[in-house]
Amino acid sequence: MKNNGIVPDEWIVSYASGALSEAHALVVATQCHFHPDLQEKVNAAEDIGGSLMEDSEPSNMSNHTFDDLMKQIDTLQADDLQPLNDNDLPTPLADYLGNRSLNQLDWRLMGPGLSQVRLWTGPNDERLWLLKAKGGTKMPSHDHSGLEMTLVLKGSYHVGQDCYSPGMLEMADDNTVDHMPIIDQGDDCICLVMTEAPIKFNSLIGRLLQPFTGL
Amino acid sequence: MLLCLIIGMFEFRVNRNIDPKGLSARKKSMMNIEQQNNSAGCSALYLTGSFFSVDNRFLLIEKGRPMDETSKFNNFSHEQLVSIVALHKDRSAFKILFEYFAPRIKSYLLNFKISNQKAEDLAQETMLVLWQKADKFDSTKAKISTWLFRVARNKYIDQVRKQKYAEVNADDHVDLLVASERTDQNLVEKQNSGRMQVAMKTLNDDQLKVIRLSFFKEMSHSQIATATGLPLGTVKSKIRMAFQALRKELGEYQ
Repeated sequence: MKNNGIVPDEWIVSYASGALSEAHALVVATQCHFHPDLQEKVNAAEDIGGSLMEDSEPSNMSNHTFDDLMKQIDTLQADDLQPLNDNDLPTPLADYLGNRSLNQLDWRLMGPGLSQVRLWTGPNDERLWLLKAKGGTKMPSHDHSGLEMTLVLKGSYHVGQDCYSPGMLEMADDNTVDHMPIIDQGDDCICLVMTEAPIKFNSLIGRLLQPFTGL
Repeated sequence: MLLCLIIGMFEFRVNRNIDPKGLSARKKSMMNIEQQNNSAGCSALYLTGSFFSVDNRFLLIEKGRPMDETSKFNNFSHEQLVSIVALHKDRSAFKILFEYFAPRIKSYLLNFKISNQKAEDLAQETMLVLWQKADKFDSTKAKISTWLFRVARNKYIDQVRKQKYAEVNADDHVDLLVASERTDQNLVEKQNSGRMQVAMKTLNDDQLKVIRLSFFKEMSHSQIATATGLPLGTVKSKIRMAFQALRKELGEYQ
Protein backbone atom coordinates (compact mmCIF):
# COMPACT_ATOMS: atom_id res chain seq x y z
CA MET A 1 0.00 0.00 0.00
CA LYS A 2 1.40 3.41 -0.99
CA ASN A 3 2.54 5.35 2.03
CA ASN A 4 3.75 8.86 2.50
CA GLY A 5 2.95 9.05 6.19
CA ILE A 6 0.05 11.47 5.70
CA VAL A 7 -3.61 10.56 5.73
CA PRO A 8 -5.11 10.90 2.20
CA ASP A 9 -7.72 13.57 1.42
CA GLU A 10 -10.60 11.11 1.08
CA TRP A 11 -10.16 10.27 4.75
CA ILE A 12 -10.22 13.98 5.63
CA VAL A 13 -13.56 14.33 3.82
CA SER A 14 -14.97 11.25 5.55
CA TYR A 15 -13.78 12.54 8.91
CA ALA A 16 -15.46 15.90 8.29
CA SER A 17 -18.72 14.31 7.14
CA GLY A 18 -18.94 12.14 10.25
CA ALA A 19 -18.64 8.95 8.21
CA LEU A 20 -15.72 7.47 10.15
CA SER A 21 -15.96 5.08 13.07
CA GLU A 22 -14.78 6.13 16.51
CA ALA A 23 -11.41 4.45 15.96
CA HIS A 24 -10.74 5.84 12.46
CA ALA A 25 -11.79 9.31 13.58
CA LEU A 26 -9.42 9.32 16.54
CA VAL A 27 -6.46 8.30 14.38
CA VAL A 28 -7.23 10.98 11.78
CA ALA A 29 -7.90 13.71 14.37
CA THR A 30 -4.73 12.84 16.29
CA GLN A 31 -2.57 13.01 13.17
CA CYS A 32 -4.08 16.40 12.35
CA HIS A 33 -2.75 17.63 15.67
CA PHE A 34 0.78 17.13 14.33
CA HIS A 35 0.18 18.86 10.99
CA PRO A 36 -1.39 22.36 10.73
CA ASP A 37 -1.93 21.86 6.98
CA LEU A 38 -4.11 18.84 7.75
CA GLN A 39 -6.08 20.93 10.21
CA GLU A 40 -6.68 23.46 7.45
CA LYS A 41 -7.86 20.67 5.17
CA VAL A 42 -10.29 19.50 7.82
CA ASN A 43 -11.56 23.08 8.15
CA ALA A 44 -12.08 23.20 4.40
CA ALA A 45 -13.94 19.88 4.41
CA GLU A 46 -16.07 21.01 7.34
CA ASP A 47 -16.78 24.23 5.43
CA ILE A 48 -18.36 22.00 2.80
CA GLY A 49 -20.52 20.38 5.46
CA GLY A 50 -21.44 23.74 6.95
CA SER A 51 -22.39 25.14 3.56
CA LEU A 52 -24.45 22.06 2.66
CA MET A 53 -26.21 22.40 6.01
CA GLU A 54 -26.81 26.12 5.50
CA ASP A 55 -28.14 25.53 2.00
CA SER A 56 -30.64 22.94 3.29
CA GLU A 57 -34.32 23.79 3.03
CA PRO A 58 -35.23 24.97 6.58
CA SER A 59 -37.44 22.60 8.57
CA ASN A 60 -40.36 23.77 10.64
CA MET A 61 -39.56 24.14 14.31
CA SER A 62 -42.08 23.92 17.14
CA ASN A 63 -43.28 27.35 18.20
CA HIS A 64 -41.93 27.13 21.72
CA THR A 65 -38.43 25.83 20.92
CA PHE A 66 -36.61 29.13 21.34
CA ASP A 67 -38.46 30.03 24.56
CA ASP A 68 -37.79 26.56 25.96
CA LEU A 69 -34.11 26.98 25.22
CA MET A 70 -33.97 30.35 26.95
CA LYS A 71 -35.68 28.87 30.02
CA GLN A 72 -33.10 26.10 30.00
CA ILE A 73 -30.32 28.67 29.78
CA ASP A 74 -31.75 30.57 32.74
CA THR A 75 -31.57 27.48 34.90
CA LEU A 76 -28.06 26.45 33.88
CA GLN A 77 -25.21 26.98 36.23
CA ALA A 78 -22.02 28.58 35.02
CA ASP A 79 -20.07 26.25 32.82
CA ASP A 80 -17.85 23.85 34.64
CA LEU A 81 -14.28 24.51 33.75
CA GLN A 82 -12.84 21.71 31.71
CA PRO A 83 -9.57 20.34 33.06
CA LEU A 84 -6.68 21.45 30.93
CA ASN A 85 -4.63 18.90 29.09
CA ASP A 86 -1.50 18.87 31.21
CA ASN A 87 0.33 16.11 29.44
CA ASP A 88 2.08 16.25 26.10
CA LEU A 89 -0.34 14.06 24.16
CA PRO A 90 -2.14 15.44 21.12
CA THR A 91 -5.34 17.09 22.32
CA PRO A 92 -7.83 14.81 20.51
CA LEU A 93 -6.18 11.77 22.09
CA ALA A 94 -5.82 13.42 25.49
CA ASP A 95 -9.54 14.29 25.40
CA TYR A 96 -10.34 10.71 24.42
CA LEU A 97 -8.31 9.37 27.33
CA GLY A 98 -10.03 11.70 29.76
CA ASN A 99 -6.80 13.64 30.22
CA ARG A 100 -5.06 10.67 31.80
CA SER A 101 -1.36 10.54 31.05
CA LEU A 102 0.15 7.48 29.36
CA ASN A 103 1.58 6.32 32.68
CA GLN A 104 -1.88 6.26 34.22
CA LEU A 105 -3.20 3.79 31.65
CA ASP A 106 -3.58 0.08 32.22
CA TRP A 107 -0.71 -1.27 30.09
CA ARG A 108 -0.78 -5.02 29.57
CA LEU A 109 2.09 -7.15 28.38
CA MET A 110 1.47 -8.66 24.95
CA GLY A 111 4.86 -10.13 24.18
CA PRO A 112 8.58 -9.55 24.67
CA GLY A 113 9.14 -5.78 24.78
CA LEU A 114 5.54 -5.11 23.81
CA SER A 115 2.59 -3.83 25.81
CA GLN A 116 -0.80 -2.49 24.88
CA VAL A 117 -3.86 -0.63 26.11
CA ARG A 118 -7.13 -1.61 24.45
CA LEU A 119 -9.24 1.52 23.98
CA TRP A 120 -12.28 0.51 21.96
CA THR A 121 -13.81 -2.39 20.06
CA GLY A 122 -16.29 -1.54 17.33
CA PRO A 123 -19.31 -3.40 15.98
CA ASN A 124 -17.42 -4.62 12.91
CA ASP A 125 -14.49 -6.02 14.87
CA GLU A 126 -12.56 -2.78 14.64
CA ARG A 127 -10.03 -2.38 17.43
CA LEU A 128 -8.44 0.78 18.70
CA TRP A 129 -5.43 0.41 20.94
CA LEU A 130 -2.18 1.92 22.06
CA LEU A 131 1.02 -0.01 21.49
CA LYS A 132 4.24 0.50 23.40
CA ALA A 133 7.37 -1.23 22.12
CA LYS A 134 10.87 -1.06 23.53
CA GLY A 135 13.61 0.28 21.27
CA GLY A 136 15.10 -2.46 19.09
CA THR A 137 12.03 -4.71 19.27
CA LYS A 138 11.09 -6.62 16.14
CA MET A 139 7.33 -6.89 15.76
CA PRO A 140 6.19 -10.42 14.88
CA SER A 141 5.67 -10.78 11.13
CA HIS A 142 1.98 -10.61 10.27
CA ASP A 143 -0.56 -10.14 7.48
CA HIS A 144 -3.82 -8.19 7.48
CA SER A 145 -7.43 -9.03 6.74
CA GLY A 146 -8.42 -5.35 6.65
CA LEU A 147 -6.97 -1.90 7.03
CA GLU A 148 -4.47 -1.14 9.79
CA MET A 149 -3.67 2.49 10.60
CA THR A 150 -0.66 3.13 12.84
CA LEU A 151 0.05 6.66 14.00
CA VAL A 152 3.37 7.22 15.75
CA LEU A 153 3.10 9.30 18.93
CA LYS A 154 6.61 8.85 20.36
CA GLY A 155 9.78 7.11 19.18
CA SER A 156 10.09 5.70 15.67
CA TYR A 157 10.18 2.48 13.65
CA HIS A 158 11.14 1.20 10.23
CA VAL A 159 9.34 -1.04 7.78
CA GLY A 160 11.97 -1.93 5.21
CA GLN A 161 13.35 1.40 4.00
CA ASP A 162 10.40 3.44 5.24
CA CYS A 163 10.82 5.28 8.54
CA TYR A 164 7.86 6.34 10.66
CA SER A 165 8.42 9.04 13.27
CA PRO A 166 6.02 11.04 15.50
CA GLY A 167 3.06 12.39 13.55
CA MET A 168 3.44 9.93 10.67
CA LEU A 169 0.75 7.47 9.73
CA GLU A 170 1.32 4.03 8.25
CA MET A 171 -1.59 2.45 6.43
CA ALA A 172 -1.37 -1.28 5.73
CA ASP A 173 -4.08 -3.45 4.18
CA ASP A 174 -4.57 -6.99 2.95
CA ASN A 175 -2.09 -6.31 0.16
CA THR A 176 0.59 -5.81 2.80
CA VAL A 177 2.18 -9.20 3.52
CA ASP A 178 4.91 -10.16 5.95
CA HIS A 179 4.48 -6.85 7.71
CA MET A 180 7.35 -6.66 10.19
CA PRO A 181 8.01 -3.25 11.71
CA ILE A 182 11.30 -2.88 13.60
CA ILE A 183 11.40 -0.38 16.44
CA ASP A 184 14.38 1.97 16.24
CA GLN A 185 16.97 1.69 18.99
CA GLY A 186 16.61 4.07 21.91
CA ASP A 187 13.35 5.33 23.34
CA ASP A 188 10.16 3.34 23.56
CA CYS A 189 7.93 3.71 20.54
CA ILE A 190 4.29 4.47 21.33
CA CYS A 191 1.66 4.27 18.60
CA LEU A 192 -2.09 4.70 18.26
CA VAL A 193 -3.30 1.73 16.21
CA MET A 194 -6.61 0.97 14.52
CA THR A 195 -7.22 -2.45 12.99
CA GLU A 196 -10.36 -3.30 11.02
CA ALA A 197 -9.93 -7.04 11.49
CA PRO A 198 -7.73 -9.31 13.61
CA ILE A 199 -4.17 -9.39 12.31
CA LYS A 200 -2.76 -12.73 11.14
CA PHE A 201 0.52 -13.65 12.77
CA ASN A 202 2.85 -15.74 10.68
CA SER A 203 4.79 -17.21 13.59
CA LEU A 204 3.58 -19.94 15.91
CA ILE A 205 4.35 -17.84 18.99
CA GLY A 206 2.36 -14.94 17.60
CA ARG A 207 -0.61 -17.18 16.94
CA LEU A 208 -0.34 -18.75 20.38
CA LEU A 209 -0.27 -15.34 22.07
CA GLN A 210 -3.06 -13.86 19.95
CA PRO A 211 -5.98 -14.97 22.15
CA PHE A 212 -4.36 -13.16 25.07
CA THR A 213 -3.60 -9.97 23.17
CA GLY A 214 -7.07 -9.70 21.71
CA LEU A 215 -5.64 -8.45 18.42
CA MET B 1 -30.18 63.32 15.34
CA LEU B 2 -28.42 65.27 12.59
CA LEU B 3 -25.43 65.77 14.85
CA CYS B 4 -25.31 62.04 15.50
CA LEU B 5 -25.20 61.36 11.80
CA ILE B 6 -22.42 63.90 11.28
CA ILE B 7 -20.38 62.34 14.10
CA GLY B 8 -21.03 58.95 12.65
CA MET B 9 -19.86 59.96 9.19
CA PHE B 10 -16.75 61.61 10.68
CA GLU B 11 -15.88 58.42 12.54
CA PHE B 12 -16.58 56.47 9.39
CA ARG B 13 -14.07 58.52 7.41
CA VAL B 14 -11.43 58.31 10.13
CA ASN B 15 -11.81 54.56 10.31
CA ARG B 16 -11.63 54.21 6.54
CA ASN B 17 -8.47 56.31 6.40
CA ILE B 18 -6.73 54.24 9.04
CA ASP B 19 -7.74 50.94 7.57
CA PRO B 20 -8.77 51.32 3.95
CA LYS B 21 -9.23 47.59 3.38
CA GLY B 22 -11.33 47.30 6.49
CA LEU B 23 -9.63 44.07 7.50
CA SER B 24 -7.23 44.75 10.32
CA ALA B 25 -9.88 45.52 12.93
CA ARG B 26 -11.66 42.24 12.34
CA LYS B 27 -10.15 40.42 15.28
CA LYS B 28 -11.93 38.51 17.93
CA SER B 29 -12.14 41.22 20.52
CA MET B 30 -14.42 44.07 19.63
CA MET B 31 -14.06 47.74 20.50
CA ASN B 32 -17.39 48.94 21.77
CA ILE B 33 -17.79 52.65 22.10
CA GLU B 34 -20.76 54.36 23.62
CA GLN B 35 -21.05 58.07 23.32
CA GLN B 36 -23.64 60.14 25.11
CA ASN B 37 -24.99 63.20 23.36
CA ASN B 38 -28.09 64.32 25.15
CA SER B 39 -28.13 67.84 23.78
CA ALA B 40 -28.66 66.53 20.27
CA GLY B 41 -31.49 64.30 21.37
CA CYS B 42 -29.55 61.06 20.99
CA SER B 43 -29.47 58.80 23.99
CA ALA B 44 -26.61 56.69 22.75
CA LEU B 45 -24.50 56.18 19.72
CA TYR B 46 -23.01 52.74 19.45
CA LEU B 47 -19.97 52.43 17.29
CA THR B 48 -18.59 48.97 17.21
CA GLY B 49 -15.12 48.98 15.75
CA SER B 50 -15.06 45.64 14.05
CA PHE B 51 -18.51 46.09 12.58
CA PHE B 52 -17.61 49.49 11.37
CA SER B 53 -14.47 48.47 9.60
CA VAL B 54 -15.86 45.31 8.05
CA ASP B 55 -19.16 46.50 6.83
CA ASN B 56 -19.10 50.26 7.29
CA ARG B 57 -22.23 50.17 9.39
CA PHE B 58 -23.19 51.92 12.54
CA LEU B 59 -26.25 51.84 14.66
CA LEU B 60 -28.15 54.81 15.93
CA ILE B 61 -30.57 54.37 18.77
CA GLU B 62 -32.91 57.26 19.17
CA LYS B 63 -34.13 58.41 22.55
CA GLY B 64 -37.60 57.33 23.45
CA ARG B 65 -38.32 55.46 20.24
CA PRO B 66 -39.36 51.86 20.90
CA MET B 67 -37.45 49.41 18.75
CA ASP B 68 -38.21 45.87 17.73
CA GLU B 69 -35.84 43.71 19.76
CA THR B 70 -34.23 42.14 16.74
CA SER B 71 -34.56 44.91 14.16
CA LYS B 72 -31.60 46.77 15.62
CA PHE B 73 -29.42 44.00 14.23
CA ASN B 74 -30.76 44.16 10.70
CA ASN B 75 -27.97 43.73 8.17
CA PHE B 76 -25.47 42.40 10.70
CA SER B 77 -23.63 39.31 9.55
CA HIS B 78 -24.05 36.08 11.48
CA GLU B 79 -20.46 36.26 12.62
CA GLN B 80 -21.05 39.75 14.04
CA LEU B 81 -24.15 38.55 15.86
CA VAL B 82 -22.11 35.77 17.46
CA SER B 83 -19.66 38.41 18.69
CA ILE B 84 -22.55 40.32 20.27
CA VAL B 85 -23.78 37.15 21.97
CA ALA B 86 -20.25 36.49 23.22
CA LEU B 87 -19.77 39.98 24.64
CA HIS B 88 -23.23 40.90 25.86
CA LYS B 89 -25.21 37.65 26.00
CA ASP B 90 -27.75 39.54 23.92
CA ARG B 91 -30.87 37.42 23.51
CA SER B 92 -32.18 39.36 20.53
CA ALA B 93 -29.00 38.71 18.57
CA PHE B 94 -29.13 35.08 19.64
CA LYS B 95 -32.75 34.79 18.53
CA ILE B 96 -31.84 35.89 15.01
CA LEU B 97 -29.14 33.23 14.89
CA PHE B 98 -31.49 30.63 16.32
CA GLU B 99 -34.28 31.35 13.85
CA TYR B 100 -31.88 31.13 10.94
CA PHE B 101 -29.72 28.16 11.89
CA ALA B 102 -31.85 25.86 14.08
CA PRO B 103 -34.26 24.92 11.22
CA ARG B 104 -31.30 24.24 8.93
CA ILE B 105 -29.46 22.17 11.53
CA LYS B 106 -32.66 20.18 11.98
CA SER B 107 -32.91 19.60 8.22
CA TYR B 108 -29.33 18.38 8.08
CA LEU B 109 -29.94 15.96 10.97
CA LEU B 110 -33.15 14.61 9.45
CA ASN B 111 -31.00 13.12 6.68
CA PHE B 112 -29.91 10.51 9.22
CA LYS B 113 -33.29 8.86 9.69
CA ILE B 114 -33.91 10.13 13.18
CA SER B 115 -37.25 11.31 14.50
CA ASN B 116 -38.50 14.83 14.02
CA GLN B 117 -38.37 15.38 17.78
CA LYS B 118 -34.83 14.05 18.10
CA ALA B 119 -33.62 16.28 15.26
CA GLU B 120 -35.26 19.26 16.92
CA ASP B 121 -33.76 18.42 20.30
CA LEU B 122 -30.28 18.09 18.80
CA ALA B 123 -30.69 21.37 16.92
CA GLN B 124 -31.71 23.02 20.17
CA GLU B 125 -28.71 21.54 21.99
CA THR B 126 -26.41 22.70 19.21
CA MET B 127 -27.67 26.25 19.60
CA LEU B 128 -27.24 25.97 23.38
CA VAL B 129 -23.55 25.26 22.78
CA LEU B 130 -23.38 28.40 20.66
CA TRP B 131 -24.86 30.42 23.53
CA GLN B 132 -22.39 28.92 26.00
CA LYS B 133 -19.28 29.01 23.84
CA ALA B 134 -19.81 32.02 21.59
CA ASP B 135 -16.66 33.54 23.05
CA LYS B 136 -14.64 30.61 21.73
CA PHE B 137 -15.71 31.32 18.18
CA ASP B 138 -13.13 33.21 16.15
CA SER B 139 -14.57 34.60 12.95
CA THR B 140 -11.10 35.06 11.46
CA LYS B 141 -10.64 31.30 11.45
CA ALA B 142 -13.99 29.74 10.73
CA LYS B 143 -17.47 30.39 9.43
CA ILE B 144 -20.26 30.10 11.95
CA SER B 145 -22.06 27.59 9.72
CA THR B 146 -18.94 25.39 9.83
CA TRP B 147 -18.73 25.69 13.60
CA LEU B 148 -22.39 24.78 14.06
CA PHE B 149 -22.11 21.92 11.57
CA ARG B 150 -19.23 20.49 13.62
CA VAL B 151 -21.18 20.72 16.87
CA ALA B 152 -24.35 19.23 15.34
CA ARG B 153 -22.41 16.37 13.74
CA ASN B 154 -20.71 15.51 17.02
CA LYS B 155 -23.95 15.71 19.01
CA TYR B 156 -25.60 13.32 16.57
CA ILE B 157 -22.67 10.86 16.67
CA ASP B 158 -22.49 11.07 20.46
CA GLN B 159 -26.19 10.67 21.21
CA VAL B 160 -27.51 8.57 18.33
CA ARG B 161 -24.51 6.47 17.30
CA LYS B 162 -23.22 6.41 20.89
CA GLN B 163 -19.66 7.01 19.76
CA LYS B 164 -17.05 9.55 20.75
CA TYR B 165 -15.91 11.51 17.72
CA ALA B 166 -12.49 13.03 18.31
CA GLU B 167 -12.39 16.73 17.49
CA VAL B 168 -9.66 18.16 15.32
CA ASN B 169 -10.49 21.72 16.19
CA ALA B 170 -11.46 21.51 19.83
CA ASP B 171 -11.81 24.90 21.46
CA ASP B 172 -8.68 24.61 23.56
CA HIS B 173 -6.29 24.29 20.68
CA VAL B 174 -7.85 26.48 18.05
CA ASP B 175 -5.11 29.00 18.73
CA LEU B 176 -2.63 26.62 17.13
CA LEU B 177 -4.08 27.61 13.81
CA VAL B 178 -2.19 30.57 12.46
CA ALA B 179 -4.42 33.10 10.79
CA SER B 180 -2.62 34.64 7.85
CA GLU B 181 -3.66 37.48 5.58
CA ARG B 182 -4.45 34.83 3.00
CA THR B 183 -6.74 33.14 5.48
CA ASP B 184 -8.45 36.44 6.20
CA GLN B 185 -8.96 37.09 2.53
CA ASN B 186 -10.29 33.61 1.99
CA LEU B 187 -12.71 34.04 4.82
CA VAL B 188 -14.19 37.13 3.20
CA GLU B 189 -14.55 35.16 0.01
CA LYS B 190 -15.96 32.14 1.78
CA GLN B 191 -18.60 34.22 3.49
CA ASN B 192 -20.25 35.18 0.24
CA SER B 193 -23.46 33.26 0.40
CA GLY B 194 -24.18 30.77 -2.31
CA ARG B 195 -20.55 30.19 -3.26
CA MET B 196 -20.84 26.57 -2.27
CA GLN B 197 -23.87 26.10 -4.48
CA VAL B 198 -21.92 27.53 -7.39
CA ALA B 199 -18.90 25.39 -6.52
CA MET B 200 -21.01 22.24 -6.33
CA LYS B 201 -22.16 22.85 -9.89
CA THR B 202 -18.59 22.42 -11.06
CA LEU B 203 -18.59 18.78 -9.90
CA ASN B 204 -19.54 15.99 -12.25
CA ASP B 205 -22.40 13.65 -11.34
CA ASP B 206 -20.24 11.00 -9.69
CA GLN B 207 -18.29 13.55 -7.67
CA LEU B 208 -21.51 15.18 -6.50
CA LYS B 209 -22.92 11.80 -5.57
CA VAL B 210 -19.95 10.72 -3.42
CA ILE B 211 -19.88 14.07 -1.61
CA ARG B 212 -23.61 13.91 -0.87
CA LEU B 213 -23.43 10.29 0.26
CA SER B 214 -20.57 11.24 2.60
CA PHE B 215 -22.22 14.27 4.17
CA PHE B 216 -25.92 13.37 4.04
CA LYS B 217 -25.77 9.60 4.50
CA GLU B 218 -22.53 9.40 6.52
CA MET B 219 -21.40 6.53 4.32
CA SER B 220 -17.88 5.13 4.52
CA HIS B 221 -15.83 4.60 1.36
CA SER B 222 -16.78 0.94 1.16
CA GLN B 223 -20.47 1.69 1.77
CA ILE B 224 -20.40 4.24 -1.04
CA ALA B 225 -18.74 1.65 -3.28
CA THR B 226 -21.56 -0.79 -2.52
CA ALA B 227 -24.28 1.83 -2.98
CA THR B 228 -22.96 3.14 -6.28
CA GLY B 229 -21.41 0.00 -7.75
CA LEU B 230 -18.13 1.86 -8.22
CA PRO B 231 -14.84 0.15 -7.29
CA LEU B 232 -13.48 1.19 -3.88
CA GLY B 233 -10.40 2.84 -5.40
CA THR B 234 -12.61 4.83 -7.77
CA VAL B 235 -14.77 6.04 -4.88
CA LYS B 236 -11.68 7.26 -3.06
CA SER B 237 -10.29 9.07 -6.07
CA LYS B 238 -13.65 10.69 -6.81
CA ILE B 239 -13.93 11.99 -3.25
CA ARG B 240 -10.38 13.31 -3.53
CA MET B 241 -11.03 14.99 -6.87
CA ALA B 242 -14.31 16.48 -5.66
CA PHE B 243 -12.65 17.86 -2.53
CA GLN B 244 -9.83 19.41 -4.50
CA ALA B 245 -12.27 20.90 -7.01
CA LEU B 246 -14.40 22.43 -4.26
CA ARG B 247 -11.38 23.87 -2.48
CA LYS B 248 -10.13 25.35 -5.73
CA GLU B 249 -13.51 26.81 -6.52
CA LEU B 250 -13.80 28.30 -3.06
CA GLY B 251 -10.38 29.90 -3.36
CA GLU B 252 -8.67 27.74 -0.79
CA TYR B 253 -6.87 25.15 -2.78
CA GLN B 254 -3.24 25.96 -3.38
